[in-house]
Amino acid sequence: MKAKDLMIPLQDYLTPDNNLREAVNRLRTAVRGEDRVGVKGLPVLASDGKLVGILSIRDIIKAIYPTYMSMMNLGQFSWDGMLENLARQAGGRKVDEFMTRDVITAAEDDPLMECVDLMFKHNVRRLPVLDRSRRVMGMIYERDVFFAITKSMLEENSGGEK
Amino acid sequence: MTEHATAAVTQIVMGPVFWIATVLFLATYALIIWEKVHKTIVAIFGAALMIVAGIMTQEEAFYSIDLGVDWNVIFLLISMMIIINIMKPTGCFEYLAIKSAKIARGQPFMIMAIFSVVTAVVSAFLDNVTTVLLIAPVTLIICQALELDIVPFLISEAISSNIGGTATLIGDPPNIMIASKAQLDFMAFIYHLTPVIIVVLAAYIVSIKLIFGRRMTVKEELRLRVMAMDEKKAITDPILIRKSLVVLAVTITGFVVHGMLNLQPATIALFGAGLLLLVSGNREPQKILAEAEWASLFFFIGLFIIIGGVVKVGLMKWMAIEVLKITHGNLFGTTMMVMWFSAFASAFIDNIPYVATMNPLIIDMARQLWPNLEGVALLHHPDLMPMWWSLALGACLGGNGTAIGASANVVVIGMAEKMGHPISFKKFMLYGMPLMIESVIISTLYVWLRYYVFKF
Repeated sequence: MKAKDLMIPLQDYLTPDNNLREAVNRLRTAVRGEDRVGVKGLPVLASDGKLVGILSIRDIIKAIYPTYMSMMNLGQFSWDGMLENLARQAGGRKVDEFMTRDVITAAEDDPLMECVDLMFKHNVRRLPVLDRSRRVMGMIYERDVFFAITKSMLEENSGGEK
Repeated sequence: MTEHATAAVTQIVMGPVFWIATVLFLATYALIIWEKVHKTIVAIFGAALMIVAGIMTQEEAFYSIDLGVDWNVIFLLISMMIIINIMKPTGCFEYLAIKSAKIARGQPFMIMAIFSVVTAVVSAFLDNVTTVLLIAPVTLIICQALELDIVPFLISEAISSNIGGTATLIGDPPNIMIASKAQLDFMAFIYHLTPVIIVVLAAYIVSIKLIFGRRMTVKEELRLRVMAMDEKKAITDPILIRKSLVVLAVTITGFVVHGMLNLQPATIALFGAGLLLLVSGNREPQKILAEAEWASLFFFIGLFIIIGGVVKVGLMKWMAIEVLKITHGNLFGTTMMVMWFSAFASAFIDNIPYVATMNPLIIDMARQLWPNLEGVALLHHPDLMPMWWSLALGACLGGNGTAIGASANVVVIGMAEKMGHPISFKKFMLYGMPLMIESVIISTLYVWLRYYVFKF
């Protein structure tokens, strides 16, 4: 199987100008298989369709996690309601500020093992799949790789048909 | 006087070596200001070129007290970095800041004032950037607990750290460099600079009360959030804190008496760092040592060699003579010019290369004025002393003028931006420049009254 066979074809994406409120809503309702069950990361495309970044739920959490807390031991001085309050404040900020710009991508004809290699080497859980003209065709998520593995394993155990 | 100066200028040979060194020096400074290449890389490469081009010998660059790397500065900085890097994870700074906020009873202006004083006092003993990096994160969580605008707090802390750093020999790199070149000890700084800094700080607190004080109010329930914080929870290693405080006390006592002991400040600091490494039971010194700011340290090393080159060829001497021509050898006028020029220069350029350049310039100026004197008799000439203090005051306080004037300003602006509250160059200057001018006016009055009117 190749990257393009496993990927979810591009349907949902973000733009750098989206604010985080729009972004979380799209992440929450993105198409996955038949249903709109949501995904944990979406590509960010500029107006000309070029891939400029990727935004994951981790980026969203980072967006509301104040930098100063990472600088010192301040966790014990936070309070009930702090996270919710910061989340409300961050809602209007732009995707552009928080997206990961160095996107690790797969090419449409990459074998699945290469995709897994990319995920491990770069510590990412999803890869945009690019066609030969470097346009985003779709996304490969860690979970889909897992499904591919599950499928192979279970087929073998059940007697290796097909 | 002018005759004297003209006679001296003929001694400078403005041959190819002079021009190569001058061009190298100017090119280095231009690249540092341009900021496209990291300043440390510029300094290292420039220094290497000074030696390769034959301006300086390696012997001079590495070992000469007059021309080479000032290891007194380097070892003092490294040692203080080691001490602070051991203390940082213990939680003592979080404790100090949370405790301060509670002493202020969660009242916004009281917090700002107390934090400014704490920042200034800590800055007097630690590097300004380090201080800001230790106090600002706690300030920010308190501002958010109180739902206050973070910008005034961040600006006021950067400025107070620059003010506090001016007070002592070890507070700010310009002072460390001046102390080393002028052979001034820790107590001399306490005696001559600390009094004026206390006045500057007091005036500063009054000023921020007028600027920010009236706009800040806070709801009772939010105040309770701060009062509910338990500062004791910050402490992760009470034993190491006790050890660190003892070593810190020993080190500061060492600074106080280093003149009497005939030991250089770097020796005292190295002793403190060595002692704390020993008693902290650290098994991996590599980690603590790696955390030292090597980029800054190498910036100093490179700069010293580059400046050494232009001192050797006589550029500094030539400049010293030119300055004396402008002021007609009037020492009070020269001193005032040094202070105000230093303040405005430091507001726009890095005060470290500035002071590294001014030190030999002032020494060359002194040689022009008192050609028969040498060593301490020359460096500590009663008429020269106000100039050293004016250089320190101008160069350190000048950093408050603009967003790029001091590293502490750059750090808080970076923090504010990450928090989604960018502070523009103009906005910083709107607060910084008047506060800087206020502090330099106070310093001017101080220097004039103390050294020219009452003469003590």
